[in-house]
Amino acid sequence: MSDRRASASRRDFLKLGGSSLGALALGAALPAPVAQAARRQGLLDSRGGGVIPTLCEMCVWRCGVLARVRDGRVVKLEGNPDHPHSRGRLCARGQSGLMTTYDPDRVLQPLVRVGARGAGTFRKASWDEALDLTAQKMLQIRDRYGPQAMIFSSTHNLSQTQFENLLGAYGSPNYGTQRSLCFNSMVTAFLVTYGIEEPARNYDNVEYILLVGRNLAEAISTSETGALIEALARGAKLVYLDPRFTKTAAKATEWIPIRPGTDAAFLLAMIHIIVEEHIGDCDFVQQYVQGCQQLPQAMAEYTPEWAETKTGVPADTIRRIAHEFAAAKRQALAHPGWRTSNFVNSFQTERAIATLNAIVGNLFEPNGCLVAASPEASGVNLGKPPQPAYPRITAQRLDGVPWKYPMVPLKLGVFQELRDAILAGEPYQAHGWFISRQNPVLSLPDRRRTLQALERLDFVVDIDVVLNDTGWFADVVLPEASYLERYDPLSVLDGQVFLRQPVIEPQGEARSALWIYRQLGERLGLADFFQYVDEEDYLRQQLAPLGASLEDLKASGRLSVATSKTGEITFNTPSGKIEVYSETLANAGFSPWPTWEEPPAPEPGQFYLLTGKVGQHTQFATQNNQYLHKYQDEPRLWMNMDSAAALGLQDGDWVHVTSPVGRVRIRLLATPAIRPDCVYMPPGFGHFSKALRTAYGVGASDSDLHVTYVDPISGGQALSQTFVTVERA
Amino acid sequence: MPKPQPFAILLDATRCIDCRACMVACSVENNVPMDDTRIWVSGPGVFGDYPDLHRATIPYHCMHCLEPACASACPVAAWTKREDGPVVYDSARCIGCRYCMNACPFGVPHFDWNAGLLEQPLISKCSLCAHRLDAGEQPACVQTCLTGALRFGRRDEMIAEARKRIAENPGRYIDHVYGETENGGTSYLILSHVAFGLLGLPELGPRSVNEVSEKVMGTTIPFALGWAAVLAGVSAGVHLHNKRKEAAAQPVEEKE
Amino acid sequence: MRMQVALPSRVDLRPRRLVWVLLGLMGIGLVVAVVRFANGIGAISDLSNTYPWGFWISFDLFTGVAIGSGAFVMAAAVYIFELKEFRPLLRPSVLTGFLGYIMVILALLVDLGRPERIWHLMIYWNHTSILFEIGVCVMSYTAVLAIEFAPVLFEGLKLETWARRIHRYIMPFVILGVVLSTLHQSSLGSLLLIQPEKLHALWWTPLLPVFFFVSAVAIGLAMIILESSLSASAFGRGLETPLLEKLARAAMVVSGIYLLMKFGELAWTGELGLLLSSGSMSLLFWAELILGSVVPLVLFAIPRFRHSPKGLLVGATILLAGMILNRFDVSWFAIRRLTDVGYIPTLPEISISVAIFSFGILAFILAARYLPLLDPQEKTSAPAEIAGAHG
Repeated sequence: MSDRRASASRRDFLKLGGSSLGALALGAALPAPVAQAARRQGLLDSRGGGVIPTLCEMCVWRCGVLARVRDGRVVKLEGNPDHPHSRGRLCARGQSGLMTTYDPDRVLQPLVRVGARGAGTFRKASWDEALDLTAQKMLQIRDRYGPQAMIFSSTHNLSQTQFENLLGAYGSPNYGTQRSLCFNSMVTAFLVTYGIEEPARNYDNVEYILLVGRNLAEAISTSETGALIEALARGAKLVYLDPRFTKTAAKATEWIPIRPGTDAAFLLAMIHIIVEEHIGDCDFVQQYVQGCQQLPQAMAEYTPEWAETKTGVPADTIRRIAHEFAAAKRQALAHPGWRTSNFVNSFQTERAIATLNAIVGNLFEPNGCLVAASPEASGVNLGKPPQPAYPRITAQRLDGVPWKYPMVPLKLGVFQELRDAILAGEPYQAHGWFISRQNPVLSLPDRRRTLQALERLDFVVDIDVVLNDTGWFADVVLPEASYLERYDPLSVLDGQVFLRQPVIEPQGEARSALWIYRQLGERLGLADFFQYVDEEDYLRQQLAPLGASLEDLKASGRLSVATSKTGEITFNTPSGKIEVYSETLANAGFSPWPTWEEPPAPEPGQFYLLTGKVGQHTQFATQNNQYLHKYQDEPRLWMNMDSAAALGLQDGDWVHVTSPVGRVRIRLLATPAIRPDCVYMPPGFGHFSKALRTAYGVGASDSDLHVTYVDPISGGQALSQTFVTVERA
Repeated sequence: MPKPQPFAILLDATRCIDCRACMVACSVENNVPMDDTRIWVSGPGVFGDYPDLHRATIPYHCMHCLEPACASACPVAAWTKREDGPVVYDSARCIGCRYCMNACPFGVPHFDWNAGLLEQPLISKCSLCAHRLDAGEQPACVQTCLTGALRFGRRDEMIAEARKRIAENPGRYIDHVYGETENGGTSYLILSHVAFGLLGLPELGPRSVNEVSEKVMGTTIPFALGWAAVLAGVSAGVHLHNKRKEAAAQPVEEKE
Repeated sequence: MRMQVALPSRVDLRPRRLVWVLLGLMGIGLVVAVVRFANGIGAISDLSNTYPWGFWISFDLFTGVAIGSGAFVMAAAVYIFELKEFRPLLRPSVLTGFLGYIMVILALLVDLGRPERIWHLMIYWNHTSILFEIGVCVMSYTAVLAIEFAPVLFEGLKLETWARRIHRYIMPFVILGVVLSTLHQSSLGSLLLIQPEKLHALWWTPLLPVFFFVSAVAIGLAMIILESSLSASAFGRGLETPLLEKLARAAMVVSGIYLLMKFGELAWTGELGLLLSSGSMSLLFWAELILGSVVPLVLFAIPRFRHSPKGLLVGATILLAGMILNRFDVSWFAIRRLTDVGYIPTLPEISISVAIFSFGILAFILAARYLPLLDPQEKTSAPAEIAGAHG
């Protein structure tokens, strides 16, 4: 960093400051509603300075934020000490959030395409025109082809409920989240095994941590990353499986550069030893685990010696780690992982993790390291506006759930199948795509096909704060207010309600998703589904059952709600137990036990193409943030230095990376920090929207290379299963 | 009453995950231009041979020396060491001579190389967020550090905490608190698992680099006065001597 | 005194082409300076946070100040020690010094980030700062030089009374000038004292100011020899060889003292081993001492050499080369850097120094052309002036 990379010249920066001065002068003349309201709450002083609590949206962890405001401008974001995720701290992304709001590339007025799709030529339009046009197109599609011809996709925003409301009211079954590109295998496996999507982790007393590719130091969840480091400082042991020496590996007691795709073999062997030697928590297992009697027999073949042949990890190492893990008992933790869909067998990896935790009994309260309850659904019942029932949906889902993927939850879906269904026109032809703050052009594997699919559609509408690569292909772009400029529906966490509220006026004509969805609902003739006057009205209706006032919530940013905790462990599975043995899986035609499925391996001369995370970015959404750009490392293709030498390549060379579906050009990082049979591309780069002036042309996108491989059980895209060759460019 | 100890930051490199939240926080808090930074990553990054690998980086800060060389060197006294720790800059005084950059043994102050006369180039470096300290807050970098790698408190307490960590975790740390004595002591203290030199930190003795320079500077006025007196004396002496010689050899023409 | 007025020595300005070249070089420098002031130092130079000081400081400041030392050496010789025979060399030396210091200030105006605030040096005092002392000394000394040179100017303008008035009170200024020179010539060395861990041990010593002062005297003497030789050939004036021979002898003695001190210091601190063990640093050290001290010592010890105009010129040039190398070593080459960022001065960067140097030469030529500087009658007029000054 001592080279102090320049992302913008000093002058650009000053220009930005200058434009805001204009806004300031305007703000002084006309008292703005946000500032007025904040003043009423006592959050701002008479000169417009103060601190307003709200929620971060630089990733999905949603830390509490205290926004420092001066003269109608956010000047600093701090972690809210009262929020369990931030605890006073924010990561690099959270700290940089105001630059996402003040991004000079923000879209601040609705845009309507004028040139060819993908040419990136738009004209500015009024909201009325843009909304009318969008509604008219959507109605046309519904009238001609039925509501199922319209695809809706959006992921994990706080306004998701109203997005789902729009989709339900419109009557389309085709809901695309990006979760199949992320954690489908984890969520599906834990739903099957524990009956919950994702168990929480408790590091308070943890002594032994097993992270299976969970790169907590770079895939940062503020509180959890901090808790891990605290635990290590306290003396906890960390065993970390990853083909790459990540920043997490650097903190590990033991880094195991396991062969990609073989984590399940390692874990199954651990289970084998623990049940064979009866060193787990037998009481817990007998009481809570379905299939405990047959488990040793089901695991019999997975000896450490067998696992060694698969993983490349010595049998003795596996045996020792199994012993250490079991010895730590309830203070042992095998982390469920996060972006876990790496191979088509990742579901089995997750099942093995779920089993491993169960057999050491670490789900016991109060000291267990795994909490079998979702903190986001902690018994707080919020109100919502009244609405009629949704129209009945008869059409099949395009993504194959559940007719092709019986185990995949509806709200997860299989995103990559949606794209392929557009191209195939099977089981029916889709005609429109409603996209809210997603970037499927970069996120989906095999970008060439994604672009072909977009071309196939009659109408694409994109809601976002910038004109990203997907917006580049849209017919209408609707500018959403940034998270510092808008209200969103309430956030529930650990028995508390948190509020995202505007800390500054929306810039330009940007509007909240709540406003946009309601406007569209009205124009689609679906006003009954959007019975709220404005955002504040929506929030008041949410708060009504709690008897709390929005004004109080605005002042403090949070509200504690009394919830009842039973203390009893219940599992929302058919048997009410931890289903290491799953009848459901058996009925669907899959192995009822966690099992080994041999993943494919590269031919000689090919490399595993690994993906991962960097600590300065979230998916594909933050690369245009100038602060993050300033502090990121140049995205390069990691290759083991010995492998590079064997190919006659040197650090810094430009190389071509070629997969069965595409080719990219990128600079090489020759490093010892990766297995010799792997290469790694930092994710999220390779933007080609020229409207992203900071991110444009930086790095390359692995979506150009990824072959679409879908795990038949969880629907997860196997993101590390593409094999590539590398040569000098 | 003894003076209160200055504040200090304690950085524990074993806890740093190189996430750079501190750097963004600093840039935003201090409105640091995009082409500049007041904190940067220093250290070898990944080192060793696969698969026996290690990693070490630190956020490199101003060390806030107890006897700062920059403040000693600055010809217009633009740098001040505050009693509570920060070495702060008075941009209204700075003439842009960059002697502080030479003087600093840590290479911390840096300059706006691409600012013309109208853009008013200045020196920039970490201020320990002195303005935040005045408001009773921690520096922005410390405040946001996710992992507790940065801690803030009174310098003696931070040294005690560092010593305690070393004592309680045999083998984890190099047995030295960098900055306790370096350059006469600093208000940025560093605990590390790898040699400090590897992290880009210079090897410095317990005396501040400005000690000799200040001693020499202290002799200036007496020397100047003494030297002027000597010269005046010599001049007068020579003159008298020549006069006498001239008088003695009056008729002789003045020629060598 | 009358004689000077009666005989305005109009030295013919022969090198007309040279004037145009100098003007051209100044023009280039001016354009580069405009870019520098518009877009910053980084726009034209290779200076960086690793090399905050570069060519300008080593050449224009360290070398420029050192080669201006002839002025105080001659002023001291003529006025304080009343070595009247050197009078003919006084005015050119003072002019060289005066122009030299103006050149230093011009270069600093380019090198300083905020040149418009250079006066801050005078109002914001920092008693621990060597650079503060140098700044104040250089500015004051430039003023003193202006006063010392003023009589020449007034004579040129035919303002005899003014010239005489200044002459009458010249002594305090001469002493002040020598004191200021001693201070800042030595303090340029002290500037490096604050980098004990960066400046190579062959050079860093608390004696740096003493070394700088002693070598400045040698440089001053050599500069007078060089400048007299050059202007003699340029202006077709008779060379004061006997005078210069004496200066050469003095330079020889000073070089010898310098050499002894340098080795003595290394021996005293037990660092003689560094003379062989420091690779390129050892080479630089040897180069500067051999050129700056050993060779002049040997050459000037040979009477035949010392008495020949060519020998004087060669000896002085070699001495200057070695001593200037010392200034570059101390302020640039021998400083350890904290990053691997390199530094190669850019052409525009050098063109600034070239332009300033050209200005100096042009100003000297013009002064020689229009002011009673190289008055062939100076020798005869000298007694009257001395009498005037001390009467």
